[in-house]
Amino acid sequence: MVSSFCWSCLTRLPTAPRAILPPTLTAQRVAAFHSSTPLLAGAKKKGDLPVAKYRQAKSAKMKKKKPVERTRPPAVGERRALRKRIVLSNPNALEVEDMQDLSAENMVDARLRGSILGLPVPMLDQLRAVQAFKPKQGWSIFRRPGTVVRRETLELGRLIDGISAEEGENKGKVVRKIITGVKGSGKSVHMLQAMSMAFTKEWVVITVPEAQDLVIANTAYAPLSDENPNVYVQNDATAALLSRIVTANQKVLSKLTVSQPHPALKTAVKPGMTLEALAKPGIQDPAVAWSVFQALWTELTATAPAAGFEKGFKPRPPMLVTLDNLAHWMKETKYNNIDCKPIHAHDLVFVQHFLSLLKPSTEAGKPSLPNGGLILYATSGSNSPTVYGFEVALQQLAARQAGIKPSSPEFPQPDPYLNADKRVLAVFNDSASTKSPASKDRSLELQTIGGLTRDEAQGFMEYFARSGLLRENITDTWVGEKWSLAGGGVIGELEKLGRRLRVIA
Amino acid sequence: MPPRLNLFTARAVPVLRQSANSSAASRRSFATILNTNRPCAASTGHGLKSGLSASVRTQRRCNSSGSDGQDRPKGPTEDPLPHVSEEAAEVSKIMDKKCDGTPASPELEQGTPISEILQRDKEALKHMPKVMQDQMKRPSGSRSFSTSARRLQPELQGKEFDDASASVVANMISQVNQQATELHPGLKFEVPENLPKTENFRKRYETIVEQFTKLLMQDGKLSKAQNTMAFILDHLRTAPPPNINPRRRLLPGPPAPQLPLNPVLYLTLIVDSVAPLLKLRQQKGIVGGGVSVQVPSPLALRQRRRTAIKWIIDASDKRKDSLFGQRVANELVAVAEGRSGVWEKREQVHKLGVAGRSNLGLVARRR
Repeated sequence: MVSSFCWSCLTRLPTAPRAILPPTLTAQRVAAFHSSTPLLAGAKKKGDLPVAKYRQAKSAKMKKKKPVERTRPPAVGERRALRKRIVLSNPNALEVEDMQDLSAENMVDARLRGSILGLPVPMLDQLRAVQAFKPKQGWSIFRRPGTVVRRETLELGRLIDGISAEEGENKGKVVRKIITGVKGSGKSVHMLQAMSMAFTKEWVVITVPEAQDLVIANTAYAPLSDENPNVYVQNDATAALLSRIVTANQKVLSKLTVSQPHPALKTAVKPGMTLEALAKPGIQDPAVAWSVFQALWTELTATAPAAGFEKGFKPRPPMLVTLDNLAHWMKETKYNNIDCKPIHAHDLVFVQHFLSLLKPSTEAGKPSLPNGGLILYATSGSNSPTVYGFEVALQQLAARQAGIKPSSPEFPQPDPYLNADKRVLAVFNDSASTKSPASKDRSLELQTIGGLTRDEAQGFMEYFARSGLLRENITDTWVGEKWSLAGGGVIGELEKLGRRLRVIA
Repeated sequence: MPPRLNLFTARAVPVLRQSANSSAASRRSFATILNTNRPCAASTGHGLKSGLSASVRTQRRCNSSGSDGQDRPKGPTEDPLPHVSEEAAEVSKIMDKKCDGTPASPELEQGTPISEILQRDKEALKHMPKVMQDQMKRPSGSRSFSTSARRLQPELQGKEFDDASASVVANMISQVNQQATELHPGLKFEVPENLPKTENFRKRYETIVEQFTKLLMQDGKLSKAQNTMAFILDHLRTAPPPNINPRRRLLPGPPAPQLPLNPVLYLTLIVDSVAPLLKLRQQKGIVGGGVSVQVPSPLALRQRRRTAIKWIIDASDKRKDSLFGQRVANELVAVAEGRSGVWEKREQVHKLGVAGRSNLGLVARRR
């Protein structure tokens, strides 16, 4: 378009009268500085493609499928709750008629070997409180929870029966065991059986259902005190522990009364106060949880009342202490100290307390569990960190049990180039070698849980069939086949085979 | 399998020869072969082992001597009745007794051996002749004189062609035969009589479970899909049994309260019940004018299931549960209870299919 200014004098040229120009031109005269005429540009048609914007790709592209808009994202913690949910009953499964419940009589009955003993229904709340059940143990497909009576179970039953007996050689004995075994061999369920037997015998049951939770920096931690700043306390975890103890052992703790003075506690301890009442403040106020736990522990390990507390003193029951996934406590945690160096798990006071139970005596020279009891610490087959020192320690423990002296050349020694953790080795060395003040106590043992025998496997598979979950003829041949497929009767694998669906069409 | 081959050659050759003479005869002999084989197979099952045993038995019959033939039970047609006149003679022999009507004892007619009488009569034993008494007292087998001839030839003494050696050889032969029949080449143990398809490790899951799992798979993550499938089957196993809608029943199967105990069957029934019988194909140019018409075409079983599973998974997308497996499981239960929109989809497809049946004629005419 011609400029309306004169190039030489910059004066305005006289404008053409509007009537001469075509109407379209006047309408589109927007940009005055274009040199090409707008006349040539065709008018826009209606159905044309939208003009691409500046620097927009114009290639042919597949349209992306839009994700479906969900109105509500799952609530916080909903998925976790779903993952951790424990279902103990399947109303569709058939009731197994002559299934007995676990009781004080039949827990030592060798005739029941290979059969399934149900867990008594009133006890389920206690077992849930100590978190004895794990989500993937397959409780949800049966009518009601039950466990196989295997050889190890009967031995355990006899042991618990002997410890809590009125008299006998095992009365008041302490047995300490590390339980190992391949994945799915029933270590956690073995501990569950121990808990159920201990509840039947009215013991005090103290559990740490997952050792890993204390070392992955999921709970708060703080230095214990100004005097020892290198030891750390986990108040929330301790409060949770107290809550487990009180809920599960409410029946026992409400009958026992305080027998010792507790100057460390803020609240006044009066004679005649039950142990349940003693522990309650620790649950409500995590800040005092550790001192409350220590007070409770002193009470539970008391053998005689202190002066002024004699009234109504009852002898304390034996204790069962269980712990799952021990290997996580044998390495450095995810917690950092003030220098931003990782804290070793043995610097946590919680961990220290439970590991000290492996030793026969406390630092003061007193027996660690004077009223007798059972200490079961299990390793995990599926979630266990590789800790070289721990592996060697377990090998050494096995060697000691086989009668090899630590001075002999066959005794397994840590490879000096692999930097075995000295603290880990020391825990097990001390526990295994020191003589206990009570001669009845056995030193630390290693128990390896293997597969079921064929007869036990047959009983287990028959349980599936009688629950209506398995449609097979349970013959010796069939069981033998599954027994071999399950790596020699590893019960977790047998369970998978039992619930594996097969319909012969 | 050598025995089976033997059987067929032994039996088939005469049959073929006969067929040259008359076709009717050959047909009959074929029938006899079938009949002889059938009861064996039926009695022992369908497995390979039974087949072997049957063939062994038949083989023995073919090349057996007379003694072998005797121990085998005779069939009803194998010894026919005697001739009428012979039968009459037999009857008269039995019936023609003394005229006085007393039953004739066989003893009186035929006589009884002394030894039998002595066995049952203690009195007679005492009064029997001295010769016989002496004979009984003497230990049997030890005569005062020898009755055997001395074997003079030493070379013959070494070789003992007696029963013992024969039985040893027979034993060996039978053992070898047994091994040949029992131990199929390459198998250490006998073949299981009924090996289900799912025992193969490549096909360890049911067809429908596998198909469903693969359709659940997203981004090629089969393992995750398998987890989801396990969750779904567990949900079907533990959820309360479905309340069947009488207008939208599942395919015939066990009653609803029994379904959760067999989750695979439950799943199969759900999927098969909503699987469409046909699909609609849009076809242009049959009627002219560029108009496309819908032509129904039948689906195979796998295709039908695939369509149904796709519908179920699509419908589950609208649910609000947080887990994918939970959504699909809930949708499956909804289908079982007749609440799901998948049923309407199926009805719609069938309705359009019925309407489009007339277009099938157009397609045929074009060809």
